[in-house]
Amino acid sequence: MMSPTGAGPEPGSPAGRCLRFSVQAQTARLAEIRRFVEEVGGEFGLDAERVFDLKVAVSEACANAAEHSGGSHVPLQLCARFHPDRLDFEITDGGGFRVPQVERRPRTDSRGLGLPLMVALMDEVRIRKTPGGGTNVTLSLLVSG
Amino acid sequence: MSLEKIGEHDVQLASSHLVQAPLIVIDGECDHGGAGALRAAVEEALSADTRVVLIDLEKCTYIDSGGISVLLGAARTLRDRGWLGVLAPNDNVRRLFEIVGLTVDTSFRVFDHREDASRALEDLGR
Repeated sequence: MMSPTGAGPEPGSPAGRCLRFSVQAQTARLAEIRRFVEEVGGEFGLDAERVFDLKVAVSEACANAAEHSGGSHVPLQLCARFHPDRLDFEITDGGGFRVPQVERRPRTDSRGLGLPLMVALMDEVRIRKTPGGGTNVTLSLLVSG
Repeated sequence: MSLEKIGEHDVQLASSHLVQAPLIVIDGECDHGGAGALRAAVEEALSADTRVVLIDLEKCTYIDSGGISVLLGAARTLRDRGWLGVLAPNDNVRRLFEIVGLTVDTSFRVFDHREDASRALEDLGR
């Protein structure tokens, strides 16, 4: 599943460029994913607070994919697209489509905090079903001013 | 004091006491992968029938809903008998606590310094 702008990096041009990372959907891989997010944040010039926000939001999206893949180790494709006015960070998995759970009632295990955190920390969150039946979560940060 | 390196995760937990209250120190990144070990440490602390459990977050550089859910659960368990106290969370971690509503929970208290927590525990009379 790739949009027309996803043909790959455009060397020498920060705008429209993208960085990719492929990883298994496992909670044990979340630290590696955060290192990738730090790299993306550095390239895009995000301040430390926004890098932290993006790390949490991306981790929540990936943890959600990991939780639903069970032990099947679904591959995750991460793609950060640099635009002049925004950073779009896509997390795509090949597992079954599902919308991240939202907490309904307070429960002892307090699950379902992931989506509220993503929405609170990001400027835009989009959840789409891919043509292959997987899930694509796009987390966006808008450049202010 | 016990120190446990948790698998491949970049977090270490240490357990001790402050004014007789169990104190768990989180050092590193507390994510969904490391939350199981934190949950076990917190459950052990809660099982002692204590009124207060403390978690030192001064060296916790990152937390997400994996770790936060453990804190929420502990605050709920302690609601009728005391509170969960967290020490010195950094600004980013504190912001997440505000987003999920922990900071308005009467059984969740944030202390900037360990001495403030000691004083609150002494006021509690134990």
